[in-house]
Amino acid sequence: MNFIDLLMLGFSEALTPTNLGFCLLGALLGTLIGVLPGIGPTATIAVLLPITFYLPPLAGLIMLAGIYYGAQYGGSTTAILVNLPGEASSVVTAIDGYKMAQKGQAGSALAVAALGSFFAGTVATFGIAIAGPTLSSFALSFGPTEYVSLMLFGLLAATVLARGPVLKAIGMILLGLLLGMVGIDASSGEERLTFSAVELFDGIDFVVIAIGLFGFAEIIENLENHEARAVLVSKLSRLWPTREDFRRAWPAVLRGTGVGTFLGVLPGGGATLASFCAYSVEKKISRNPSEFGEGAVEGVAGPEAANNAGAQSSFIPLLTLGIPSNNMMAMMLSAFIIHGITPGPTVLATQPEIFWGLVASMWIGNLMLVVINLPLIGVWVKLLTVPYRLLYPAILLFCCVGVYSINNRIFDVVLAAGFGLLGYAFRKAKCEAGPLLLGFVLGPLLETNIRRAMTISHGDPSVFYERPISLVLLIATVGMLVLMVLPSFRRTREVAFQDEEG
Amino acid sequence: MKHLIRNTALATTLLLGAGAAHAEWPTDRPIEFIVAFAPGGGTDVMNRTLAPYVEKELGANITVLNRPGASGEIAYTAMTEARPDGYTASSLNTPGYLTMQMDRKVRFDPKKICLVARIVEDPGSFIVQANSEFNSLKDLVAYAKANPGAVTVGTTGLGTDEHLAMLQLEKSAGIDLTAVTFNGANEARTALLGGHVMTIGINVGEFVGSDHSAFKNLGQFAEVRAVIAPDLATAKEQGFEVLVSSERGIAMGCDVPEDIRVKFSDAIRKALDNPEFQAKAKQQSLALSYLSSEDWGKELPVRAERLGAIWKLAKEQQ
Amino acid sequence: MSAPRKAGGAGDRPDLLTAVLFVGFGALGLWAGRDLTLGTASAMGPGYLPTIVCWLLIIVGVTVGGIGAFRDRQEIATPKLWPVAIILASVVGFAFIAEYFGFVAAAVWLLLVGSIADRDSKLREVILLTAGLTAFGALVFIVGLGVQMPIWPF
Repeated sequence: MNFIDLLMLGFSEALTPTNLGFCLLGALLGTLIGVLPGIGPTATIAVLLPITFYLPPLAGLIMLAGIYYGAQYGGSTTAILVNLPGEASSVVTAIDGYKMAQKGQAGSALAVAALGSFFAGTVATFGIAIAGPTLSSFALSFGPTEYVSLMLFGLLAATVLARGPVLKAIGMILLGLLLGMVGIDASSGEERLTFSAVELFDGIDFVVIAIGLFGFAEIIENLENHEARAVLVSKLSRLWPTREDFRRAWPAVLRGTGVGTFLGVLPGGGATLASFCAYSVEKKISRNPSEFGEGAVEGVAGPEAANNAGAQSSFIPLLTLGIPSNNMMAMMLSAFIIHGITPGPTVLATQPEIFWGLVASMWIGNLMLVVINLPLIGVWVKLLTVPYRLLYPAILLFCCVGVYSINNRIFDVVLAAGFGLLGYAFRKAKCEAGPLLLGFVLGPLLETNIRRAMTISHGDPSVFYERPISLVLLIATVGMLVLMVLPSFRRTREVAFQDEEG
Repeated sequence: MKHLIRNTALATTLLLGAGAAHAEWPTDRPIEFIVAFAPGGGTDVMNRTLAPYVEKELGANITVLNRPGASGEIAYTAMTEARPDGYTASSLNTPGYLTMQMDRKVRFDPKKICLVARIVEDPGSFIVQANSEFNSLKDLVAYAKANPGAVTVGTTGLGTDEHLAMLQLEKSAGIDLTAVTFNGANEARTALLGGHVMTIGINVGEFVGSDHSAFKNLGQFAEVRAVIAPDLATAKEQGFEVLVSSERGIAMGCDVPEDIRVKFSDAIRKALDNPEFQAKAKQQSLALSYLSSEDWGKELPVRAERLGAIWKLAKEQQ
Repeated sequence: MSAPRKAGGAGDRPDLLTAVLFVGFGALGLWAGRDLTLGTASAMGPGYLPTIVCWLLIIVGVTVGGIGAFRDRQEIATPKLWPVAIILASVVGFAFIAEYFGFVAAAVWLLLVGSIADRDSKLREVILLTAGLTAFGALVFIVGLGVQMPIWPF
C-alpha cells in the first residue's frame, strides 16, 4: 500500500460515527481539564484508562489522544487569561499572552493561539504520517552527550524569558536547577535536600511550583494592587486579531511549528524545550525585542505552535518504536497494552489501521478543537469582565484541587502555599519566575545525562565535542553566549529594557 | 461517566452475587485498595484489572486509590495507619519493599504488614539489540572478561532488580561491568536502541508484552523458566548464579482479624482463576504466580536474606 | 553599571532582596546537602552538582547585591500583610480540612476565608459563590474527573 492508500485507510477508520464521537468527547474533555488549572491530562487519562476496557481499541486510543492535545489547547487559555500555566509548555504563553490580556487583547491572543495550534497540529500530524520512522531514528541518535549539549543550549536560551537583568535570570535558573535536584538520587539511592520528608523523595512536582509561583502569588499581588484591577476590566476591547496581528503571527507560527515538530520527537524534555526555544527564536530575530514581555503577538504565536506541534510529534517514538517519550505517552502505552496491542514497528506492518486511524483522528480532533475554541473565545473574554472578587476564589479552589490531585495528598497543597509565599517575595524583588521553572524542568535531565555521559566515557570530557550533533549544539551555545556578551547585542538588550530600568 | 458504567456494573454484580453473601465484613462499605504507584503503571493497571473480579468473589465494592511515592513507602505507611477493620488493603512490590528496609529506617512498622497474596512473579533478564554480537549471557561474560569495564549496563537505579542482577552476574562470573542509571525502563530502552549502552535489564513480562522485534533476550534470572517465556534459557542453565525477580502482591495490616485476611486471600485466588481475568492477564503478559499469604510469608524472608547479601556487596563496592 | 551616590541614598532594595534570597537558598542548599558524597568527575556522587549550583547561586546573589548596593535607591512596593496571610491560611486550612473532613467542608472553608482577603467582597455574594462553586467542584472534580478525595466527612 502506498502513502495515499494508507492515509485513506486512516481517514475511513477515523470517520466512523463511533470514532468521531469519541474524538469529540476526548477533545472536549481535554479542553475542560486544560482550562481547569492544575488538573493535568496525565491524571485524567489515568482515571479514564480502565473504561477503555469497554471500548473498541481504536476508539479508546482516539479518545485518550484527544484528551492530551485538547488539554494543550485548553492550557493556553488559563495561561493567557489569568497568568496560570498548568504545565511547563504554557509557561511561555503566559508571559506575553497575559500581558496582551491586560492590554485588552485577550480575544486576539486566544485566537492567535488557537489558529497557530491548529496549523502546527496539522503540519505535525502529516509529519508523523510522512516522516515518522525517519524522525524517530534521528531521536535515537541523541545519547547522553547530545542531551547535555541540548540542555545547556536550552538553559542559556532561558535567560531571554525574563525582562529584567540577565544576572537575575541566571540566578533564577540556578535556583530552579537546585529545586530540581530535590529527591532520591537514582544512581546512588541517597536522599538529597529532602529534609527527611518522605513526601519529597520523588522530588517536587512541577504543578506544585507552577501553581505556587504563578497561581497563588498572582492572586496575592492582584489583591494588593486594588487599583490596577479596575483598569483591566474597563479596557476590554477587541475580540479578533487585527490584520496586523495576523501579519506578525504568521511567520512566527511557521517557525514555531518547525521547532516544535523537531524537538517534540526527542524523548524526555523535547516537547517542553520546544515552546521555550520558539520564544527565544522569536525574540532573537524580532526587530523590536523590546515588545517581548509586554504583549508581543509573536511571543504567543510561536510558542503555542511549537507546543502543539511538539505534543503531536511526541507520539512518533511511541507509535514507531514503542517507546514513550514522557509520562503522558507512557499512559498511552498502557492503553495500547490493555487492548493487547504493542505499539512499534510490528504494529505498523500488521495493524496499519490502528496507526493510521489514530494519526487521521488527530487531525480531525485538531479541526474540532479549533471549531470548538474559536466561538468559546467570546465566552472566555466575558469571563474577564467578572469582577475579580468573584473570580479569584474560583481560581483558588481549582488550584487547590489540582495540586491535591497530583498525588492525592495534602502535603503538596501546603508546599504550593509555601511556593506562593516565595513567589510573592520574588515579585517584591522584581525577579521573574519563568527561568526558574525552565531550570527546574531541565535540571534533572541535565544532571542525569552529564553523569551518564561521564560514566560511559570513564570521565573523559572529549565525548562532548567529538560527537557531531553534540558539537553543533555546543557551537550554537557558545555563539549565543558571545552574542550576549558582545557590546552591540548588549546595547540592544539595554534599549529593550529601557523602560524597565528607567 | 466512568462512575456511571462502574456503578451499573457494580449494581449488577451485587444483585447477582447477593446469593453468595458472606459475613458482615466486605459488604459494609467499599474496600479501599491502595496502589503504591502512579496511575497507568504496570502495578496500577494490573490491580485495576483484577479488582472487578475480586469484587465479584466477595460481593463487595472496591475503590482503587493511588498513593504513589518513595517506591511504596507512602502507601505502606498509609495502610498501617488505617483502621484495622479489613477495609484497607495495599499493593506490595518486591524487591522495593525489602530493599527500602535495608538502607534506612522506614516510616512504617514492617511487623504491622501482613501479606495477603502474591499475584505475579516476574523474573529479570538482560536484553541487547537484535543485531548484537551477543547471543547469550555466556557471550556477554566472555566479552566482559576480555574488556573489563567496557560493557555498559542500563539500570533504573541502585537496588533495583536490574542492578541487583548485574551485581550477581559480576560476582558469579568474576567480571567487571559498568552500571549506567536511567530514570525508568523506557529511557533505558531508548538508550539501548540508540546504541548508547550495550545491554539493559528488563523484566521478562515487560519484554514479552512489548514490541521486541528490535531486541534479543540473553537469559532470564529465574529458578525455572517463567510461564510467559518458556523458550528463554535461565541464567542458571547457562552456568551463572543469578536469581532476581520482582513480585507484585497484596497486603493488609496485621491488626486486621486473620479470618478476614484469609477470606480476602481466597477471593483473590478465585478471581485469578477466573478465565476472563486470565485472558486479560495474558494480554498484559502478566507472569501470574499465586502464593497464599502463608506460602508467601515463608518465602519472603528467604528472599530478603538473599537480597541482603547482594546489597552488602553493592555497598562495599561504592 | 554603578551609579553615583545621591543625596537620597543608595541601594536598590529589590536587588538587595534578590541577593538575600539567592544567597539564602544557596546556603540552605549547601547546609542540607552537607553530608552528600561529592564523588569525582567520572563517577559523580549525589552531591557533586548540587554543591556547584549552590556556590554559583551564592556568587550570583552576592554580585546582584553588590551592584544593587551602589545603584540609586529604589523602594520595594509596600507589602500588605492582609492578603498574603489570608490567602495562605485559607489554602493551608483547605489542605488539612480536606484530609479529615472531605471536600465540601474544605471548599467551604477555602472560599469563605479566602473571600475575606478582598475588601470588596459582599456577604450575600460570597455565600452564593461558595455554595455554587462547592457544588460545581464536587460534581466536576470528584464525581466527573475522579479526583480521589472524599466528598463528605463520613
